[in-house]
Amino acid sequence: MLPAIVLIIALLYFTGWAFAFSFTDLTLTGIKSINWSWVGFQNYIRLFTREGFLGALWTTVLFTFFSALVGQSVLGFLFAASMRGSRSLLRSVVEVALMLGWLLPDIVSAFLWSATTSDTGLINKVAIIPFGLKPVNLLNDYALPIVIIANIWKGTAWSYLLFTAALDSISREVVEASKVDGANGWQRITRVMLPIIRPHIATNMLFITIWTFTYFPLIFAMTGGGPGDATSVLAIFMYQQSFMLGKLGYGAAVSVAMLLIVGVLSIFYLRMLEEPK
Amino acid sequence: MAGSTVPSRLIALALAFAALIWVSPFAWLVTNSLDPASVGQLNWPSSISLSNFTDALSGKSGMQFLNSIYLAAGTATLTVAVATGAAYPLSRLKLPGQSVLLWTLVLLRLLPSTGVIVPLFFTARNLGLLNLLGVAIAMTILNLPFALLLLKNFFDTVPIELEEAAYVEGASLWQIVTRIVMPMSRAGIAVVWFFSFTGAWNEFLLPLIFVRTDAGFPMSVGLYAAFGLNGAVKYGFLAAFSVLYAAPAIAVYFLLRRNMNTGFAGVGVKG
Repeated sequence: MLPAIVLIIALLYFTGWAFAFSFTDLTLTGIKSINWSWVGFQNYIRLFTREGFLGALWTTVLFTFFSALVGQSVLGFLFAASMRGSRSLLRSVVEVALMLGWLLPDIVSAFLWSATTSDTGLINKVAIIPFGLKPVNLLNDYALPIVIIANIWKGTAWSYLLFTAALDSISREVVEASKVDGANGWQRITRVMLPIIRPHIATNMLFITIWTFTYFPLIFAMTGGGPGDATSVLAIFMYQQSFMLGKLGYGAAVSVAMLLIVGVLSIFYLRMLEEPK
Repeated sequence: MAGSTVPSRLIALALAFAALIWVSPFAWLVTNSLDPASVGQLNWPSSISLSNFTDALSGKSGMQFLNSIYLAAGTATLTVAVATGAAYPLSRLKLPGQSVLLWTLVLLRLLPSTGVIVPLFFTARNLGLLNLLGVAIAMTILNLPFALLLLKNFFDTVPIELEEAAYVEGASLWQIVTRIVMPMSRAGIAVVWFFSFTGAWNEFLLPLIFVRTDAGFPMSVGLYAAFGLNGAVKYGFLAAFSVLYAAPAIAVYFLLRRNMNTGFAGVGVKG
């Protein structure tokens, strides 16, 4: 019991400390790493007056929206819905394929995708050169879309597992009844299944939004935030400010801002979880 | 659902195509790791050899493999030990406000861990823990709320009558915990161990900031440093290194797969 209490207190202490840092001008090295002072809301004002934060926020929103909300959850649902109730070999193959992406360590995925999308890589060889086009260095020219695709590849398994469990919980009778009443396939999905699994959708959105919004290793290892700041999401921006430029106070303010944004989004999803329309 | 055959065949075709797309980067990885003359293409290897793997297991990169095992197993065992010690009393003594406290902790952990890293870094530097042990302790701290919540839910399912019976027959508290409670919540302990193991195995940011020497890197940072280097890319070596790095995480998942599913169910049971 005792070690746990000590570590829990440590966690609370560190979190409190992170908040406190965001009101100081503490730096990693140099004179202000010792003689720091309180600067009030200056770091927070800089979030909006200096370039960088707002751009990184927009990149993060694009990344989260397209890779998690559109890519992972829609694809995961389509996989789960189209293989519902089937026990075929194909289902096992697809499942293992999806899981491989999910289980692979972040850095391995990053290496894999950098190599596959380079100008001599797999995608150029299979889908671009055969059409008589010039090879493209995809990761350089289309950095954000490639990072988004890599994250869809990596994360779809989670949504698939969750939606499979959700669809399994729908009783067969309900679906059969709607079929007898003349609902076609599309109506069965949109009018019967989706409303029933609504809480699962909200839970899934909650988790993947939080994860994707703060996701760091895959993007960092693939692009380092570049080229330029094309893929600099908030987590990378915060790392650069804190540990490369050494502005710990400003970095702490960025992470507090991230926390607030994630918190607001979570409340939004939790409301969706509770109230039926 | 036995619909008309044409659409269902189309769906099957689409699924097979999707699976192919999903697997192709992985196939690329495996063929390159086996090809001693790899140039980063998806070809059948001209000759198959394990020389890339022996390269990846020797010298600095072999050391990094051991570092990763030490870090992941250490973090997982530490997390389970500390969390079990606290989750059992939490499950048996009904303290007022304890579920609020637990959920607050779990919510707190949802904040980007990038935020807590700055204070963690300072503390570790002051304590001389800027090494793998420091990473393991830091990760245990970060794992704790979730591990506590999960283990408490599992301990709640062990009927208290069993423990009372053991107590009547003269078992000590230690014996009750180790002989009755822990074996009966094996699935939960396995899940916590698995999550902590893979979490630490994959962890990139903490070791990147904490560990300053090549020989001390775990594989995540080692791989990043290796393919970040400019010049001739040694695809065969990197691919073999990646396969070695990915293998334990995948193996642990398939070993614990059945326990995992019970564990997922346990998460949702109650607060």
